[in-house]
Amino acid sequence: MKPKRKAVPGVRSRRSPTVRRIRPAITPVPPASRSAGASSAGVRPTRGAPEGSRGAPGAAESVAPAVDALGGRPVRLAVDLGRGLVLANPVIAASGPYGFGVEVAELVDLARLGGMVTRGVALRPGGGHPAPRTADVPAGMLIGIGLQHPGLEQVLERYGTTWSRWPVPVIVNLSGSSAAELADAARRIDGVPGVAGIELNLSSGGGGRVFGLDAMSTSSAVAAVRRVTELPLIAKLTAAAGDVRAIARAAEEAGADAISAINTLPGLAIAPDRRRPALGSTYGGICGPALKPIALRCVYEVAQEVDIPVIGIGGVATVDDVLDLLAAGAVAVGVGVAALADPMLPVRLADELADACRARGVSDVAALVGTALPARPGHSSTRGAEYAR
Amino acid sequence: MRVAGAELVERREIVSGTWLTAWHAPPVVSGARAGQYVHVRATDPGGLLRRLPYPIATADAASGMLTLLTGGSGWAGTVRVGDRADVAGPLGRPFEVDPRSRHLLLVAEGPSIASLRLLLDEAVRDGRSVVLLYGAPTASSVYPTSLLPDEVEYIVATADGSLGHRGSVADLVEGYEAWADQAFAAGPPALLAALTAQASGRRQRLGVATLGRKRGGGRPPAAGSAEARRKAFLQVAVGQSVGCAAGTCFGCSVEGAAGVPLRACREGPVFAADELAWAES
Repeated sequence: MKPKRKAVPGVRSRRSPTVRRIRPAITPVPPASRSAGASSAGVRPTRGAPEGSRGAPGAAESVAPAVDALGGRPVRLAVDLGRGLVLANPVIAASGPYGFGVEVAELVDLARLGGMVTRGVALRPGGGHPAPRTADVPAGMLIGIGLQHPGLEQVLERYGTTWSRWPVPVIVNLSGSSAAELADAARRIDGVPGVAGIELNLSSGGGGRVFGLDAMSTSSAVAAVRRVTELPLIAKLTAAAGDVRAIARAAEEAGADAISAINTLPGLAIAPDRRRPALGSTYGGICGPALKPIALRCVYEVAQEVDIPVIGIGGVATVDDVLDLLAAGAVAVGVGVAALADPMLPVRLADELADACRARGVSDVAALVGTALPARPGHSSTRGAEYAR
Repeated sequence: MRVAGAELVERREIVSGTWLTAWHAPPVVSGARAGQYVHVRATDPGGLLRRLPYPIATADAASGMLTLLTGGSGWAGTVRVGDRADVAGPLGRPFEVDPRSRHLLLVAEGPSIASLRLLLDEAVRDGRSVVLLYGAPTASSVYPTSLLPDEVEYIVATADGSLGHRGSVADLVEGYEAWADQAFAAGPPALLAALTAQASGRRQRLGVATLGRKRGGGRPPAAGSAEARRKAFLQVAVGQSVGCAAGTCFGCSVEGAAGVPLRACREGPVFAADELAWAES
């Protein structure tokens, strides 16, 4: 007969099926001064990932694997984006649907997300584009919202303290009209407790400049920000660039720690009366399922080109979309417009991803990354006519 | 805001392209007020999963029934009686009727009458006199009289003159402005802009005396407050498409008079007319 398990005093043995222990993933390399005060609420200073160990399997050991209370095997979901930014799982709320996070904090268990990217901000406040700002298009939505925000200073003041109390890493999405402006903004963000990283928007026309169309501008923007901050830096590319591989390479060489691919793509819809474009901003960004094949293409190309991690974004609505992006080479996946209809979706996808790993007998989600990549570097999509043959 | 799995109980085409759908959704119906909306999860196979905003046309707490006016294409064209949908609501700020108002003027154009429908029911129940001015392109697209309470005076304008006044519904307002204590409107931006312009000089035109109050007299109520809407002569419901309904996506912004964009999903969809700035178009 099996002896009854004895309760160890002081140790809670009760497990709940839905609540997972997630170690805080905000682990920026502390600039000399920041150590005691800032790391009070849940921010656990972990060892700074030594340079060069990026992507190595051991890098994410500090994060406890998710344990399924119903007896499932533990699955390691943690993802290392470099420079100490370790996500508890690969599912991120992409920039936009969650605003600054506080708006949905009561509705969504943000702690169960791998990360949260804020809506776009820039140094100076912006009012956004005139209405209408959204239009329905086949398999997606056309959005022309623009950069509507109270300015970086206000955003950090209002939300920084709240973010620092959250276990989920908050990544600030930053736009700017020049490399110098981006650098000024990054300097302001650097050292703010609660900000786990910067996602540099090289891609959206939403009031900022589209740096990501050529390698030179990409390089200057990324390098300008890299010079002034030690925060993890993610470069968000656009599929509107002629050759995303060159852009990704430029971002990597200029010091980006990771790549986000992709943002919305510029598009146009016509108003019902056919007398003007549907959006007040004329052009908008296409998002939704329509983007998925384009996102897969870019992730696939970029993952072969660079050694830094790639975050796949575009048309994610189901766990199959997540698995597809991982197979194309993304280590993490951002959920965008689909979270508008279903705010709980990103959290659910993280759970479903763990289940998908178990179903495949995989103990580390990293085993699902890049499975569709060619053994030897393949040709690029810019070699035209290849697919028309 | 509550989320309910609502069941479609009835669906019929009341005029060409506009469907009256009745849903059983007790949690959403309770506490719903005129001008508020629901956010319905539209499952569009192959397309984008999204929520669509619909003004609450009628809500009956006793039976838990909710009616919405929908189009006939996309998701709304695929739902059938017995289908279930995820309905979140009630959402947004409602119309505010001043308790002293006896005469209400309601102005609507096309399917946006849904925004005013519940207000109309409540006003009739409370014993107020209601005039409904309604605009449509042609006689066959006029909201049917059979769906309105008998107590309402219903006046129609059609663009082609096939029924009632020929021209815009805004032309009819002049005859009722002096009679009305408060006015409520829903429709396309051009109509709301025209009505706002008409209402702006009302005090001067009618020679309404501004009487001081004993305390705090003359101080205007805070913009966006229920009191500001209650004290406004004209309240408008904007028909902006709402993306998230949580205030995060800023997709539904309308231009505010103070130069600050306002979100139709949270600060609206009902505004005091003078809270909004209308672009000349």
